[in-house]
Amino acid sequence: MKFKEWVKTLLFYEIALGMKATLSHLLHYKPITLQYPHEKKQLPSNYRGMLALLRYDDGTEKCVGCDLCEAACPSRVIRVVSAEVPGEPTKRYSKEYYMDMTRCLFCGLCVKACPVDALGMTQEYEWAVYDKRQLQLNKEQLLAIGDRNYPVREKRLEFQHPNVAYFNVGFKEIPQKEE
Amino acid sequence: MDTGIRLALTFGQIGAVMVAVLLTVAALTLLERKVLGWMQDRMGPMEVGPYGILQPVADGLKLFFKEDIIPAGANKFMFSMAPVLSLVPALIGFAVIPFGPDWTIDVGGVAFKPFVITDINIGILYILAFASIGAYGIILGGWSSNSKYSLLGGLRAAAQLISYELNVGLSIVGVLLLSSSLSLVTITNAQAGGFWNWYFFGGGGFPQAVAFVVFIISAIAETNRTPFDLPEAESELVAGFFTEYSGMRFAFFFLAEYGNMILVSCVATVLFFGGWHAPLEFLQGPESLHWLTGMMWFTIKVYGFLFLFFWIRATLPRLRYDQLMRFGWKVLLPIALGNIVLTAIVAYLFPGN
Repeated sequence: MKFKEWVKTLLFYEIALGMKATLSHLLHYKPITLQYPHEKKQLPSNYRGMLALLRYDDGTEKCVGCDLCEAACPSRVIRVVSAEVPGEPTKRYSKEYYMDMTRCLFCGLCVKACPVDALGMTQEYEWAVYDKRQLQLNKEQLLAIGDRNYPVREKRLEFQHPNVAYFNVGFKEIPQKEE
Repeated sequence: MDTGIRLALTFGQIGAVMVAVLLTVAALTLLERKVLGWMQDRMGPMEVGPYGILQPVADGLKLFFKEDIIPAGANKFMFSMAPVLSLVPALIGFAVIPFGPDWTIDVGGVAFKPFVITDINIGILYILAFASIGAYGIILGGWSSNSKYSLLGGLRAAAQLISYELNVGLSIVGVLLLSSSLSLVTITNAQAGGFWNWYFFGGGGFPQAVAFVVFIISAIAETNRTPFDLPEAESELVAGFFTEYSGMRFAFFFLAEYGNMILVSCVATVLFFGGWHAPLEFLQGPESLHWLTGMMWFTIKVYGFLFLFFWIRATLPRLRYDQLMRFGWKVLLPIALGNIVLTAIVAYLFPGN
């Protein structure tokens, strides 16, 4: 045994093994590189990218200014200023809506919290900017992101019946309050 | 008149060799990254030009236009001298390398050897001497930067280069005994006529394969390449002796490293693998084409060694410092000495074989 090991050491057996491994990778060259700006990865459909505000098909905003997203957000990204719709005292809307995306951690809790599905997560992720103030988005910008990512947004299947009120059942996995 | 022609010829030759060496360096920077990439399932540079082949140009331009920073507290004279001191010995060694057949042609009454700049009779000593001077560039560069990482890199380089230069010198003594000459042209000519005459395979009576292994290991250590790149160990010393260098001064160190790699490959080719001689006689072609096939075989062999350098870099991790020293002094040195003794006995008992 001892002699065999000596011969192996003298012939650089281990080094030869390693060099064989690297050479075999060279000969069976199959790169795993994705040439990123030229080719892009196929994202999963539930990818949580840039947040967006959504509209109904007739163009009106979904958001009713309930502030639940602001309450749900763990990193205080969202700020909502709610107001009555002028001339319609029973309806409210978000007069101003701000998101500071520098703090967002893309957990999706706001989307789950929204009772009217007014928030959505898009597949956008290339949001590197030179000035971080460009990441403090207002309502118009968020609506624009929603428009370009969801040109048609249907109601969720379970809400499509006309008798069902627009109330989401968010946080299904969290234990619900007893009746 | 004769002096004028000789000067013009020599300068032309030096220019041609310099251009060839620097072009090879440029090709090597790309080839190394490509080969390393392929071996690691990556692609290497792909952005500049098709398949990244213009990457050396982009690198050169970038280094050329970078700000030249001299750190506060650095010894300004030494700091600016060190890259030159490192680059010049790396390039100057090519003066004695025979790239092709040992022809002497007559140009206007001047005997002129087209494939070797100067055939001095102590060629290999000259290369070793200048390689030692190259170590000064590294040590002084590390010392003059006024940075702890540079100083540590320089000190490591000092110890490593001195110990491994010894092994380089001793490992080639066998070849010198068998060829009984220090001139690289004579050594090459002694290996003509097929690969069995190459000193690696036993030309001259005693195979120098062991000496070659010692030589190539020591050469890797002397050119500061992985697995012996302790003077510039990224994970320990940032960049070692050239931590503080930027721009063209950094490029000089870079050129010196690659120039040394090519030089060491050339020396290995000439001493152990027959220089410009083809492995079999008929592959050399007719006498009139020897200049072409000679340069071709020389280039193939040199690039083979350079590929070996890349291959080893892609495979082996860096040695620890005490392992490096122990390996150099306790393993390689006795082997090299034993090889000298055996070769001397064989050369004495069977002279002129």
